[in-house]
Amino acid sequence: MMAQILAGVIFVIMFVLIVSEKIERHIVSLMCGGLMIVLVFGICMHSPDAIMETLSLKSFMTTNFWYQVNESAESSTGINWATIIFIAGMMLMVEGMGRAGFFRWLCLGIAKAVRYQTIPIFITFMVMSSVLAMFIDSITVILFLAAVTVELSRLLKFDPVPMIIAEIFCANLGGSATMCGDPPNIIIGTSLGYSFGDFITNTGVIAGVSLIIVIVYFYFCFRNDLRKKTQDGGELYYPNPKDAIESKKDFVISCLIFACAIIMLVTHAQTGLTVATIGLFIGVVTLLTAGSAAMTIIKKVDYKTILFFIGLFVVVGGLEETRILELIAGAISKASGDNTMLMIAIVLWVSAVASAFVDNIPFAATMIPVIRTLAQAQGLDLSVLAWTLAMGTDIGGSATPIGASANVVGISVAARDGHMIGWGKYCKYAAPATILVVLISMVSIYVRYF
Amino acid sequence: MERQLIISVGREFGSGGHVIAEELARRFELPLYDSNLLENVALEKNVAHEGLQKYDEKPKVKLFYRTVRGHSNSPHEHVANMQFDFLKREADAGKSFVIVGRCAETVLKGNAGLISIFVLGDKMAKRARIMEKYGITEDEARRMMEKEDLKRKSYHNSHCKGKWGDSRNYDLSINSSRLGIDKTIDMVEYYIRTRIEHEA
Repeated sequence: MMAQILAGVIFVIMFVLIVSEKIERHIVSLMCGGLMIVLVFGICMHSPDAIMETLSLKSFMTTNFWYQVNESAESSTGINWATIIFIAGMMLMVEGMGRAGFFRWLCLGIAKAVRYQTIPIFITFMVMSSVLAMFIDSITVILFLAAVTVELSRLLKFDPVPMIIAEIFCANLGGSATMCGDPPNIIIGTSLGYSFGDFITNTGVIAGVSLIIVIVYFYFCFRNDLRKKTQDGGELYYPNPKDAIESKKDFVISCLIFACAIIMLVTHAQTGLTVATIGLFIGVVTLLTAGSAAMTIIKKVDYKTILFFIGLFVVVGGLEETRILELIAGAISKASGDNTMLMIAIVLWVSAVASAFVDNIPFAATMIPVIRTLAQAQGLDLSVLAWTLAMGTDIGGSATPIGASANVVGISVAARDGHMIGWGKYCKYAAPATILVVLISMVSIYVRYF
Repeated sequence: MERQLIISVGREFGSGGHVIAEELARRFELPLYDSNLLENVALEKNVAHEGLQKYDEKPKVKLFYRTVRGHSNSPHEHVANMQFDFLKREADAGKSFVIVGRCAETVLKGNAGLISIFVLGDKMAKRARIMEKYGITEDEARRMMEKEDLKRKSYHNSHCKGKWGDSRNYDLSINSSRLGIDKTIDMVEYYIRTRIEHEA
């Protein structure tokens, strides 16, 4: 009982400190992880086994960590090292691509292909945002896309705010389509043993349908704003996409590595290569081909996020070991009775609403043991709950300016150029779109799995 | 070459700090930056001034904003930073000016031409001045004073390490209720001229 109370208190303190931003979140999660090991596992539980299981260091030694010989899904607890290695590898690859000028080249290339017309740019950028976010973290996607949008808005004299809001939403939506698109999906996939193919054929289908509807929704929301164009009669200078390429050699190499990553991810269920292996391979190849720039790339990696994940997994591991999460699962189970459809609705909407206000990464990590317990107790297919959790956490984050990291970054890029996006302006368009997509997800899950 | 002179004026609401800054700008023949600073920023960014104004000199509510990899979604923070950058650029370009508020005593700290002043006042005197200026009751003036001072304090302290109104952060802190606004201006002018002579 004491261990449960302490674990709960540490978790709540971690959440409050993360939200308050008084201390950087990686320091908070590592400190709380340390407290969980010493106070809960050590002093209260006297359990070296719990510490070892949460640190999960033995997982490196297992074949399944690097190469999945059988197709059966395997659940893991504690620090999810596969997620950590994969994210680190992808960060290295994305840094290399950014240095080579890939993202700016792609954005400008598409703008040029649609002859710098505002509405076609708006639609193609939404699609591009979604597609890129399927494979690359949405922060990077939005960082480049929003910057090019602001640049084009100055040139073509349109308000970049509607386009940036739509791009943010589509990046979060695209991220929900694949296992590697959004951190909650990586955690869900690696913790519960689902493949890239599993995600794309389940959440991917829902995201695809939603994207079409969302494009229509944003088009009708913003078509008038984007058509307001003042003609000053002067000759416009259009940026050349080729100028974005810093080095042709680096550009070609980064394109090849990116293509390689996509192929490896799409086929990983067939090849047996795990995301840990793919992440390690991509990271190592990026560094080997970077030559003298390797150290610069390593220094640019967002190690704080990686440390945050490690601490977070330990804290959630503590909740799991002390069985607090089973209590939460019991409460959800009680609230829904025997009605599994109601349970799906609860998991989906609670995840969406929570993710709209708090970081969806700790939320998803916390909910994984909960849905595992729910599936066992109710005899419901775990995968259905996994897709529900993924859609809820990924999409819910789009509703508010603080719901997802991409939102914060996109709003910041616009603001640095003098285009302020407050809560009112953002939520006016993004919140209805979020409700729309969560509804689509709910209906899709009911139709397909019940 | 003429000495660069930047006079930053922090002030309590109702203390007459703005009037003092205006008169100092006139006496030293310097441009005055106050809320018009944002107009310059808006012009520079080619955006509507009104879009930025509502976030000017206001603190952010932490619960509603997040920072990711150095990016913040707080418009208040961006508006403040734009003004700070503008002030730094002007100061680095060797320009002289008077600036009201905007954490200038901290933002421009280290600039040889900076003279920082904080104007405070007695509650009674400030209240009487607010009542007269805005034609409101004593109670309304008290509430207005408390609200505005809290806003300025929160804004300042969220951007600076030093506390708002702490005399250690300013070259000169002066209570305008002691000498009255006019004599305070004379006294501050004397202080600035003495400083200029002393540092010449």
